[in-house]
Amino acid sequence: MVDSLFPTIDTTDDVASPESRRKRRRISETSKEAAESSSEAQRINEESSKRWRTNRVQQIYASKLIEALRRVRQRSNDAGKITSVAREIRDTADRVLAASARGTSRWSRSILAARVRACLKKHKKAKSKGTRKPRKDTAAERRRVEKLPAVERKLKILGRLVPGCRKVDVPNLLDEASDYIAALEMQVRAMESLAELLAAAAPPSTTLTRP
Amino acid sequence: MNHLNQLFGVSSGAGPYRDAVTGLESLNFSDEIQQLVTMPPENTGSFTALLEMPATQAMELFTSSSPATVPRIAGDISPPTLHLYGSLNFPPAIAAEQNGNFSGDGESVPSSFSERVKSEPDDSYPTVENQNHNKRKTRGKKVKSSTKKNKSSEEESEKLPYVHVRARRGQATNNHSLAERARREKINARMKLLQELVPGCDKIQGTALVLDEIINHVQTLQNQVEMLSMRLAAVNPRIDFNLDSILASQNGSLMDGSFNGEAYHQMQQWPLDGYHQPEWGREEDHHQAHFLMGSGTLHPNQVKMEL
Repeated sequence: MVDSLFPTIDTTDDVASPESRRKRRRISETSKEAAESSSEAQRINEESSKRWRTNRVQQIYASKLIEALRRVRQRSNDAGKITSVAREIRDTADRVLAASARGTSRWSRSILAARVRACLKKHKKAKSKGTRKPRKDTAAERRRVEKLPAVERKLKILGRLVPGCRKVDVPNLLDEASDYIAALEMQVRAMESLAELLAAAAPPSTTLTRP
Repeated sequence: MNHLNQLFGVSSGAGPYRDAVTGLESLNFSDEIQQLVTMPPENTGSFTALLEMPATQAMELFTSSSPATVPRIAGDISPPTLHLYGSLNFPPAIAAEQNGNFSGDGESVPSSFSERVKSEPDDSYPTVENQNHNKRKTRGKKVKSSTKKNKSSEEESEKLPYVHVRARRGQATNNHSLAERARREKINARMKLLQELVPGCDKIQGTALVLDEIINHVQTLQNQVEMLSMRLAAVNPRIDFNLDSILASQNGSLMDGSFNGEAYHQMQQWPLDGYHQPEWGREEDHHQAHFLMGSGTLHPNQVKMEL
């Protein structure tokens, strides 16, 4: 399975390669030649872009994904609405992605921890749903928030997008974001090829309904 | 002795520092140190307090001690640089000792000089060193990477506790600006990485627009995941799990043989935990593979190869 998901080994070094059905895997060791002053930045770059593009990582992710999806299927018992199943699938895929990260990144730990917290809440039957109440929307507060420089605002938005990175300082936030983007790209590639595989393998008479 | 420690704002790592000071005192520089001790009472607080004062005021306080007694240690600092400081009578020996002794400490980076982002209060050591050396053309400044706020970038703090930043020629060599420049360079390096990761960001100038693109890209990717999950949800009920087990059997043979040479991220083949159930039939369901091959929809070459 994993081989058909990520079939070819491509030795080209381009990052912005067009997404084709056959995934490109990078096995070369050369990092970006772009002017990076510190070796530290180079290490980070190698780390984040390489680690989500290796053959092995993709195989591991794909295999775990398939297994997890099977269990989702068993658990949901062909629930009626597709959207709820879709949400489960997405959460499962995210958790598998976070598990693939091996706990080295903050967003992965946050994703896995969120599930543990949800399970605990379910067990303790805590009905309190208000995890994070939004700040009081007073005019003064709004004015103060909007007065922050534009870059700061965008950094905050980025922090909200990356799971578990709301209160992270700027350089680490950028690190997390780059790792998260690389991981998401791998996830998209894996799920895309899986969907196409399953669609192709399905009996051709069935019509796929796209919500 | 205690005054010195107070002056230098010792928070942690005071051990080696005290050793340095005592060692220096034994080198007969006690008179200079005494002069430091007899500085005006408002300086007996942390040295960082001095740094946060306007520069002129700080310089005045320094001029209160006699600059002529600045010690000359052979081979340490060349005399001209000391003269350039004029009234800075900081014993360069202590600074040199700091250079030697503080490379192993892990303390917070002096990153509080910027007003924009909240960060932890700075440590005075690196700035103290710079005062002695920063008039040279190239100078190394040790900036300790922050270990308090990041849990994720341990790779940098493990391998490189100090980031040596050179003050380039013609640039302001104030303590604050050095720290600020180091911080800015870190952030700019990471922004560059992000730019390379996100397609179409190379042409864009300016941090705000690049951040816009990054945010847009993340949202796009998340939406794609959502769409794909819906597709999978729609497709899934029609597939029996024979397909999965067949693919799993392929996978089993694959994982054994194909360790790619990319030893950068050592991902061992995980023991079946968490999401795995050890139920993958590796030898079974070959007949179902034939079913699939008969339909000819899968990649028949690969299926044949693996099985």
